[in-house]
Amino acid sequence: MSLASTAQSSPRRTRLFDFLQPGARAAFTAIAVTAVVVLFLAPIIILVVTSLRPGWGVYYIYRGTEFTLANYVEVFQRSVVVEAFINSFLLSTVATILSLGVTVTSGYMLSRFKGWLPKTWFTSIYVFRTVPYISWVLPLYIVNESLGLYDTFFGILAAHVAVHVCFFSWIMKGFFDGIDPSMEYAAMIDGCTRWGAFRRVALPAAGPAIAALGILSWLWTWNEFLFALILTGNRTPLLTVTMAQFVTELGTEWNLMSAMAVMAMIPAVIITLFAQKYVIQGLRI
Amino acid sequence: MPTVAADRQPASRGAIPATRRRSRLIGERLNFQIGLILPSVLVLLLFQVVPIFIGTDASFRRWTLYDPDKTWVGLEHYRYVLSDTNFLFTVLPNTFLLMVGSVGLSLALGMAVALLLHRGFAAQRLVQTVVLLPLMIGPVIASTMMRWTFNDQFGVVNAFLGWLGLGQPAWLADRWYAFGVIVFTDVWIWTPWFGLLLLAGLKSLPKEPFEAAALDAAGRWRTFTHITVPMLRPVIGVCVVIRAIDCFRTFDQVWLLTGGGPARSTEVFSIYVYMEAFQNLNFARGSAAAVIGTLIIMVAGLALYALINRFMDVSR
Repeated sequence: MSLASTAQSSPRRTRLFDFLQPGARAAFTAIAVTAVVVLFLAPIIILVVTSLRPGWGVYYIYRGTEFTLANYVEVFQRSVVVEAFINSFLLSTVATILSLGVTVTSGYMLSRFKGWLPKTWFTSIYVFRTVPYISWVLPLYIVNESLGLYDTFFGILAAHVAVHVCFFSWIMKGFFDGIDPSMEYAAMIDGCTRWGAFRRVALPAAGPAIAALGILSWLWTWNEFLFALILTGNRTPLLTVTMAQFVTELGTEWNLMSAMAVMAMIPAVIITLFAQKYVIQGLRI
Repeated sequence: MPTVAADRQPASRGAIPATRRRSRLIGERLNFQIGLILPSVLVLLLFQVVPIFIGTDASFRRWTLYDPDKTWVGLEHYRYVLSDTNFLFTVLPNTFLLMVGSVGLSLALGMAVALLLHRGFAAQRLVQTVVLLPLMIGPVIASTMMRWTFNDQFGVVNAFLGWLGLGQPAWLADRWYAFGVIVFTDVWIWTPWFGLLLLAGLKSLPKEPFEAAALDAAGRWRTFTHITVPMLRPVIGVCVVIRAIDCFRTFDQVWLLTGGGPARSTEVFSIYVYMEAFQNLNFARGSAAAVIGTLIIMVAGLALYALINRFMDVSR
């Protein structure tokens, strides 16, 4: 599209966008950009503003100048909120490390080998990725309950590692596909074992991509709701469910809920601002 | 060398002198492959496959407190779910409507965002950051803020509509308005995903066809429909398949925005299963619905995959 400007010298029929040329084209871009920014930023700004309003002021969001940080103080005086933040942080970190560790070799295998085994494994991954989460988390609840794992850290951790097996194997395969295997062959000729070639050559080369996926994985676990709703209760409060309970328990205390939502949003904002390059790399399919 | 593990491979290559050595190598290779996928396979088996079997087994039983033996009842729960008018005429249509609406709209909007970002302008990085935000903050916070934005009494949307002098609907109290808000939220979350993947696709396209089109005096719209879209087809196809399959299991947005209400009219598949299992406390019936839904999405997913494959072949 940007090349259209080079075509201006060539003769052509008058078209709809032609009368926008060339100064108005910038105006069109400006309007479109503004629309996009408003669409994606406005709800976030509304949330932030609400979180800074005193309890009686949230209902008049479009007027008034009263701002306060009291909501944040009040939210963090509740022990369940603090506990939820700590639990979610630990869960995201441990689940990310474990799921990356479990799937990295699987992705490598899918990328480097051919034959019936990789083919079968890839098909199973594809099939299991289509299974809706609730279809296996629902019975996992029964399993956890009978094993005494319901509402424990390990119970929810297992679900979070399991959910990533299929997708991460698939994505990691893509990472290793982008790395030339000839270095590994060279390493093996020089006396490296197969495992050594993977660990010393392929793994470092895929490092940045894996880190990018790790960032996304951390954030997905942080934001996850369904597993937390089904597999945890009062003993292991997690961020998202605690936040959702704010609504039902307290009815209309939107200022407190917004304060918690803004706090929960901070990792996402930090990552978006400072690790954008990695995030976009990790999103590649 | 002792002849360990030589018999593992069939003796199809018996004629070659180096059989033993070679088949040992193949055996070693297979062991290495198995070793590489073993952790993933174990996790998948333990925490997904086994639960799925347990859930399927439960769906054939009576799973209530007053029946500790969990009597085998066969297809009773399946018969119930498949004759439940709520499931057939509300839940399934909602699920597919959400899938079509969300995927279609976020694809279209995402394409617009990608084209805009591909133009190149000042503050582009800033806009890209803003566009990335919805995807990063996740469905829970997004649904929460949308619920507040669309609040019928104090929400910004209604304040704005009031300022314009238009009607102020009770967004989440009417079936189709509520469904619209759900679709809007889903589109809000997933447009950036489409946008960024399509932008990456646009950036990887060769320049020559565009130059040729410009020389042939093709207009913007024609360049878009005849060059950009056909060349992006593989990316579009993969995005649509992944997103459509994932959309089938949408839970968070619906649960947090409407809870399936008003009067269970915005329930989608995952919500229905959850309601049956945890609200109506009929775990077996929920499992039966889960099995039915899994089968539906597997068939739909394979069909979609085949369709997209064909669609992508045509473009080559």
